[in-house]
Amino acid sequence: MNALEVRNLTKKFGPPAGGFTAVDQISFELGEGEILGFLGPNGAGKTTTLQMLVGTLTPTEGEISYFGKSLFTNREEILDQLNYSTTYTNLPWNLSVKENLTFISYLYTIKNRKKRLEEIVESFKLQDLMKQTVGSLSAGQKTRVNLAKAFLNYPKVLLLDEPTASLDPDIAKYLRDFILNQRKEYKISILFTSHNMREVEEVCDRVIFINHGKIIANDTPLQLAKKIDATEIEILPESSVAHFLKFCEKNKISTEVAGKHIVLKVKEKEVAGLLRDLTNEKLEYSEISINKPTLEDYFLKVSMDKPL
Amino acid sequence: MKLHRIFAIFLRHLYNFRRSFDRLSDAFYWPTIDLIIWGLTSSYFVSLAPGTANIMIAVIGGIIFWVIPWRAQYEVTVNVLVDLWDKNLANLFVSPLKLSEWVISLLLIGLVKSLISVAFASLVAFVLYKVNIFLYGFYLLPFLILLLMFGWWIGFMVAAILLRFGSRVQTLAWTVTWAAAPFSAIYFPVSILPDWAQVIARLLPSSYIFEGGRQVVFQHTLNWDYVWISFGLNVLYLVIALFLFSKSFNGALRRGLQGIS
Repeated sequence: MNALEVRNLTKKFGPPAGGFTAVDQISFELGEGEILGFLGPNGAGKTTTLQMLVGTLTPTEGEISYFGKSLFTNREEILDQLNYSTTYTNLPWNLSVKENLTFISYLYTIKNRKKRLEEIVESFKLQDLMKQTVGSLSAGQKTRVNLAKAFLNYPKVLLLDEPTASLDPDIAKYLRDFILNQRKEYKISILFTSHNMREVEEVCDRVIFINHGKIIANDTPLQLAKKIDATEIEILPESSVAHFLKFCEKNKISTEVAGKHIVLKVKEKEVAGLLRDLTNEKLEYSEISINKPTLEDYFLKVSMDKPL
Repeated sequence: MKLHRIFAIFLRHLYNFRRSFDRLSDAFYWPTIDLIIWGLTSSYFVSLAPGTANIMIAVIGGIIFWVIPWRAQYEVTVNVLVDLWDKNLANLFVSPLKLSEWVISLLLIGLVKSLISVAFASLVAFVLYKVNIFLYGFYLLPFLILLLMFGWWIGFMVAAILLRFGSRVQTLAWTVTWAAAPFSAIYFPVSILPDWAQVIARLLPSSYIFEGGRQVVFQHTLNWDYVWISFGLNVLYLVIALFLFSKSFNGALRRGLQGIS
């Protein structure tokens, strides 16, 4: 059974005539124990969708169900097993970290609250911050507290909106590993948004791309990257740059000159033939790097609405 | 309905109360200042007209009893406002917290804070003027409950407006109950109000409470008619206020709780 199923979810703001459709008839699933990346440019409809998925925004139409049960008719039961962390809401700023985590723990059904709080504090390395007010924390520290809050109730489904934003690289890495371990240990299903594409490639099993409120892609990070058919070959010529450019012009190869380097753009399947032709033409180079397309390239293409 | 979730909201605002000098001063400072100013003023008038000592009790009682609706309304409204300021509503409602549990927590906080402020104000009145309002104990109990209800429904009406329009209308949190004060006959009878104001006063449950309270002090009788009329009006307005609050909350859900501040 899927942890989450979304069918024809739509959100319109403003009057029925002339309003704005933020999310337009999207449907997708999140499997049990799956980590699903939910990506798109700013204003694409990601946060609006997440708000509907956690019940803080009423959809105009559509159905949301967790483990086969509708969110609208089983809200209490579902939300007890779900949690959410976002950079767009704040915890009460004048309460200490300990006070915040304590009162939030009472919002959920947790068997041994004290023990759970101790575990979470240790997992997110919050021991030294417990007496500080949330308002006095750095952005990265607030993010850690928000994430600690999200794991408090042993969630079966976790929605994380940019969970590692503002974190130092070492803490971000620690948290990625923590998330992966939690998934492995508790089979948590996670919906994950991030602007860090390398992070998404590392963590997510599958990725959904949304733009203008519609899903435009739904695949693994690897398969999405493969949809970009351009590979960049960056070389440092030993002979004259002009000879290289002449060769490229003759063979209709797109080029860019970057200082002493030349970047040749070809399809992935043409790379081997190009390298062979360069050798045959005695166009020698001292350095070469082949940059295969990444999820970030896909994201950039899609975000700019360019045809693939 | 789960008690632990009601307790969670109660705890959240208790922590906030402990850490907020604003809230502490509202609970203790203003009632004390009112008692000092109006207590001294009425004791001066009593000295000018001997044999009118009951006026002192009526004024002091008015000040102390007015603390109840003021605190009850204030706690309901300002605690909603605090969660708007903190952008914390979405955090609360991604949990299984129900609207009814939130409402009950706010009612309870209003009750507890009112009792704390009234107990404190009564102590100050006793220390400064030797006035003990608890002498009238049982007779005043119905009025205390009715004043609490009066504060609650105003609180939820204002909270409904806050959920609809956000913190740009936050000034209502501090002003609306006071707008009802001149029509509530706190220190004077309804009969001295102009005719149009008497109509408003008769529509407010508070006017019956204070008139009935004075009757207890001066005539030592409890006017049950006043109690029932006030109770009926309070129930009616409380139902309307909770309906509006619920409608406003649903409207906020349509716009998104995350965006409300």
